[in-house]
Amino acid sequence: MKRILLALLLAAPPVLAQPDAQWVAEQSTLTYHMSHPMHQVDGVSHAAKGKGICHAGQCDFLVAAPVKSFDSGDTNRDLHMIEATRGAQFPMVVVRAHFPQAETGSAAIYVDIEVQFAGQTAHYAHLPFERSAQGDRLTIRGTVPATCSDFKIDRPSFLTVPIKNEIPVRVEITWRPM
Amino acid sequence: MKLKVTGIVCAMAVLILSFLIPNLSAAQTPAAVLTGKVMASSGRVVSNAKVTVKNVETGKSAETLTNPDGVYTFTNLAPGEYEVSVTNEALGAKTAKAILTAGQQQTLDLMLAPATQEPLPNAPSLGDLGFTPQQSEPDAKLQAMLEKRTEMLKIHQRLGLIAAAPMAAALITGPMAKAKGKNGQTITEPTTANLDFHAALGGATAALYFTSAYYSIFAPKVPETPKHGAIRMHEALAFIHVPGMIITPALGIMAYKQENAGEKVHGLASAHGTVAWITAAAYGTSIVAVSWPIHWKLWEK
Repeated sequence: MKRILLALLLAAPPVLAQPDAQWVAEQSTLTYHMSHPMHQVDGVSHAAKGKGICHAGQCDFLVAAPVKSFDSGDTNRDLHMIEATRGAQFPMVVVRAHFPQAETGSAAIYVDIEVQFAGQTAHYAHLPFERSAQGDRLTIRGTVPATCSDFKIDRPSFLTVPIKNEIPVRVEITWRPM
Repeated sequence: MKLKVTGIVCAMAVLILSFLIPNLSAAQTPAAVLTGKVMASSGRVVSNAKVTVKNVETGKSAETLTNPDGVYTFTNLAPGEYEVSVTNEALGAKTAKAILTAGQQQTLDLMLAPATQEPLPNAPSLGDLGFTPQQSEPDAKLQAMLEKRTEMLKIHQRLGLIAAAPMAAALITGPMAKAKGKNGQTITEPTTANLDFHAALGGATAALYFTSAYYSIFAPKVPETPKHGAIRMHEALAFIHVPGMIITPALGIMAYKQENAGEKVHGLASAHGTVAWITAAAYGTSIVAVSWPIHWKLWEK
């Protein structure tokens, strides 16, 4: 009897335990959009890194990018952006996403997001992201409806006219299993 | 017998009326309306959220779903105190109280925020992502440098734009300050006032220009920042307008002296106008390079 129990105990972990699903960001594109009556600017970063884990029906993903990695096509504007967003003092934009594991299989994922940027934290609930799969790679696309006021950023102005408060950030990240 | 029947009919009528009167009085009380919008903490409206109202006194309840604009509406509610609750699968639940007055519409917006979820025990942290300390550690010195840089460049920008006004005026008044030869003779027009006015505009332009240039040249330089974009053209054009802004006044002084001596402007001084125009063109282009509305595509309708 003891032998049977011992055999069951040894056999149980691989059978019963659900292995955690882990993901790592393979490619990323984050694009912020800034609007001014005289300028429409997109700042792009491909430097984001990320990791994610799904466990017990829930997924936690973390994505981060250096603020200075965003390129709007003009050095002067990028340096001004870093200054306005306190990017040297708070050099990383960090995004934590939480969503049910069941959604990883559906075409649309609704994600709760926490964004740390410019020394502030903002929450965006139930954001829709589009999911597509190619082989074992998953690509997630969506937009975070960020605003300057969410992060207490004084809106930069040009010719005394400030930029719009809305600075939506388009996210496209391809994940591969670890 | 007839009287007895009449009595029974009257009694029944009274009985029926006694039942009807309270109901009639209730039916006459104007109903209240409760409406509102359900939003997530991000400000996004939440559609298809289940909203329930429960009369605290009677316990009667009703429910509805929010429309695509996140709006819910309950009509025909009896006045009184209500418990209003909204639930959404992803965003959780929220309950609020509302007191409804007869015949009035009350608006109650509700905001849903997801319950703070404990991160998974082995959730990734920033340290797991492999950023270098240079990328991820704060640099207060750099922030201070950037703030000083921005402050100085703002002054540079303002003074630079202001300088464009006397510069344009100097270009316009230039021909009026130029003596014209007629039949080989030197004439004394224009007047001294024209010459002085033109010289004053030139002086104001130079003063504003070089003050503006100071704030640009001495703004802190951020190390390891290769320049690209419109700023490169803006800076490259300085190689034309900076020498131009030195040569133009020098030639202007020579021309001024020649004019005052009653001579026709000659020699190097005669290039004053041409150099001024080239300088102004480079200066104007330099401003446009960094401020042109880059999203205006004139060739597209």
